[in-house]
Amino acid sequence: MPATYEKIATTTLGSAATTLDLTSIPATFTDLRLVVVGADNDSAGYNIRFQYNNDTGNNYSFTDLRGDGSSASSLRVNNDNYIFAGSMPADINVPFLATLDIFSYAGSTFKTALVESSTDKNGSGSTRRLVGLWRSTSAITSIKLISNGGTYKAGTIATLYGILKA
Amino acid sequence: MLNTILGTLSSGVAASTSSYESIATFNATGSETTFTFSSIPSTYQHLQLRALFQRTTSTQLDVGIRLNSDTGSNYSQHSLSGDGSAVAAAGAANNSYVAIGVGPGGGTGNYFGASIVDIHDYAVTTKNKTIRSFNGADTNNAGISAIRLLSGAWYNTSAVNAITIYTFGDAMNTGTTFALYGIKGA
Amino acid sequence: MATTYTLISSNVLSSTTATVTFSSIPATYTDLVLRISSRISVGAIDWPLNLRFNGDTATNYSNVNIYWSGPSSGIFSNQTSANKIFGSTGNTATANTFGSIEIYIPSYTASQNKPLGSFGVPETNAASFDDGIQAYAGLWRNTNAITSIAISQDGSGFVSGSSFYLYGISNA
Repeated sequence: MPATYEKIATTTLGSAATTLDLTSIPATFTDLRLVVVGADNDSAGYNIRFQYNNDTGNNYSFTDLRGDGSSASSLRVNNDNYIFAGSMPADINVPFLATLDIFSYAGSTFKTALVESSTDKNGSGSTRRLVGLWRSTSAITSIKLISNGGTYKAGTIATLYGILKA
Repeated sequence: MLNTILGTLSSGVAASTSSYESIATFNATGSETTFTFSSIPSTYQHLQLRALFQRTTSTQLDVGIRLNSDTGSNYSQHSLSGDGSAVAAAGAANNSYVAIGVGPGGGTGNYFGASIVDIHDYAVTTKNKTIRSFNGADTNNAGISAIRLLSGAWYNTSAVNAITIYTFGDAMNTGTTFALYGIKGA
Repeated sequence: MATTYTLISSNVLSSTTATVTFSSIPATYTDLVLRISSRISVGAIDWPLNLRFNGDTATNYSNVNIYWSGPSSGIFSNQTSANKIFGSTGNTATANTFGSIEIYIPSYTASQNKPLGSFGVPETNAASFDDGIQAYAGLWRNTNAITSIAISQDGSGFVSGSSFYLYGISNA
């Protein structure tokens, strides 16, 4: 039986890439926690986005709370084709941190994730907290990191942990 | 009569030296209005509650916690929230619970709210107990959608030995889970 | 099986202390997590702590935050060139009440600048006070592995009972 908090998989980009995939996620845990540290290879400030099970349909939505250094705001997007997790700092040498806590990922209800995004760039950037929804009752078996163009820098790393309830 | 269930104590999990362990879990069946983690061991340093929840009623209200069955006005709470168009701040002193988040109500199908709740030094008897929560619920416009950062405190220095999930008397739908974890400090 | 979530070190104060330092942090983990319960000797309800890595006191830090401010019933965001993290209580918070802060420092040994995220809450039994709940994104502009963390404050010290726990998260 797995431990309570256990690493499932780690993927590190050996070269710049447009996506990063975590696949064959076992159904043996209760929740998932994904930690991504990476950078924008194009220094353009592209978005950090996630999809589950290669679903590219408009089956996602999110509500966020953000601070950009001058004001706080909240945004909601319905019927989208990804979970949004902030924008990468527009500097290849400034990494971002994004974490997803996905609850009951193997259960038969829609999938709720709490997302934290830290993208400080010494004079710009943002901190965000989001809730993301995937309207599918299927178990999550894969997670794909994507963006709205551009590539993730070599060395971008995603680690997936499983958390197992009693 | 309140329908209550007690948490299922951890069993069968492989022994490890991990600092993060499961203590107990509730899996709602749709009729329970109270969930109490009792006899919480004092052997950890911090507690974390991970919750996924939906009310059976259509009212979309906060879910809260009370510690050691204290129903008195011995709590404070504060929140910072976004609803997709505006941000809002709120606070209350001398409250009878600490809110840990908002979840959709019945009739919103498969949509659930989620919360991660942390209580540091829960068994330290020289400190009141501060509660920190990250919560969100999104329903793609089918019901409530909100993101919240919450804080609260229980003004009592006793070690926490029980946590009651306060649902305002509403039952929680099947699929609701409250899972308690302990984080070691030694 | 490698242990994923492991206590590295802790410090529970028995007297007022200006700075708490975790040194000789092993490079064997992937990420670091700090769990802090702190109160600062200062005439305020809430007060920030300062975070410095590897003894670096130069202006190599920055942050952007979002925070709650009760009297203005508002939520604000600012950006500074510092690593000041709110979430500690001060002397005028309700007695025996400490703030709660979690700081996540990923990839702390990677040869890249160091991002971090935190969520901190001071508390007091009042409906409204300055500088409450805070979410924070930070950056340390240095590509060296983090080997030490110094946690300080600009008041008269962290009070007795303040606790600091450093955990390592391993992806091995």
